Amino acid sequence: MTELSDELLVAYVDGQLARKQTRAVEKVLDQDDVIAARVDALKHAHARLEAAFEAILAGEEMDVSAVSAPAPDGIVIEWRTAKMALAAIGIVAALLLAIAGYGWPLSLPSIMAPPQVETGAPQGVSEAPGWQEQMARAHALLSRDSLEVGLESQANRDFVTLQLAQILGVNLKLPNLQPQGFRFVRAQALRSGNEPVTQILYLGSRGGPLALYAKKGEGDDTLTAEQYGSIGTVTWAEGGVAYLLAGDVEDTVLMRLATKVKLEPLLPLRAASRPFTPVNGALNSGG
Amino acid sequence: MMPRLKRFADVLVGARDEGTSLLGRALRCMLDEQHRYQRGTSLDVWAFAEIYRQWLFELRGHALPVAQAKIDDARFAELFYPEVDGYLDAPVAAFLAGLPAQQRLTLLLVYGEGFNHEDAGRVLDVAPDTIAARLVRISAALADRLSARPPAPAAAIVETLYPEGLRGSL
Repeated sequence: MTELSDELLVAYVDGQLARKQTRAVEKVLDQDDVIAARVDALKHAHARLEAAFEAILAGEEMDVSAVSAPAPDGIVIEWRTAKMALAAIGIVAALLLAIAGYGWPLSLPSIMAPPQVETGAPQGVSEAPGWQEQMARAHALLSRDSLEVGLESQANRDFVTLQLAQILGVNLKLPNLQPQGFRFVRAQALRSGNEPVTQILYLGSRGGPLALYAKKGEGDDTLTAEQYGSIGTVTWAEGGVAYLLAGDVEDTVLMRLATKVKLEPLLPLRAASRPFTPVNGALNSGG
Repeated sequence: MMPRLKRFADVLVGARDEGTSLLGRALRCMLDEQHRYQRGTSLDVWAFAEIYRQWLFELRGHALPVAQAKIDDARFAELFYPEVDGYLDAPVAAFLAGLPAQQRLTLLLVYGEGFNHEDAGRVLDVAPDTIAARLVRISAALADRLSARPPAPAAAIVETLYPEGLRGSL
């Protein structure tokens, strides 16, 4: 058995070794199962640490969204604006933006307010509604009956995901919200202008449907809550997909669900295990 | 960046509400003493370092700083928001809670923030070699614990509460 110190192995796992050293370690790993197992254990430990810290951060981001979203009478600063400001403007203004974005009352009247600050207009009344608002308004037209009657089964989740990904042109999440009390009912394709939008529908034990909309595109990766009439929404973007979770549910519940979806890893696409039976016309036609 | 600063403060003090409080005080200090910020310094490195300095400054005011720095396991576990996403890696949470603050932060900066050893050292006011040495000790200890090997001696993870540069003045 070859003796390699933890010092060397940790440096290897962390990518801190020079190329020549890395190759030497890899050569040993090919020949020594004990050392390979130790490296696996170190990698496993690091992966769990990263996941733990990521989970804490996801909670903090949820707090930021929850604090900044329902403040119609106060100063509203988009988190993206704050992040851009941190990079582009002076330290004082950047910190002020960040603090205000976090929702903390800070009385520092001697410090000039930064130009990026916007006084709060009522939410949901922007002049040109985006696709999220359009989807939220369309969502209000769905009822419980529209999902419960005469629908084909979509039991093959892998295939549904594959179909939706083909429609969007990018892989996306099809989360299982059963542990949270929302069962998957069906998925279909909609359209916003000329761009495809997918809709994944769930039903809870009561109330109207919950929908996860997805559209190809970039955006802010932070969870952002909005309210359009009775429909609450949470938006974010990741992996080249902009997501919108919408439903007539409590905003805290919606935010928790969105956090859960965001934390889920994006699974690689897998081919369908059995021949495809079209689940509905929208899926079949790609729009 | 604010969620990242909040996570740093939370992991440092081991509780959500105290982390918020510490971060608020540190931010006020940053605003008051923003002249110390040097252009070219990464803003997040500077901000993390200021929070850490604030914590050290306040800790020195306590009669028993070591006892003061200890954290509660249950409150630390709350940082993982298990009620939100169902994620709580209990063994890892317990392991982190049992580490000295400097070692928790070392892990956070390197594996949570992706900092290199130099930047992590700047935040914690230690040499990059110290960061590397801590990572070896802690990684080995965690890997042992998760794979049920005999744990490393407790003395291996004892840390001073004070950064190396300040020891002589205390």
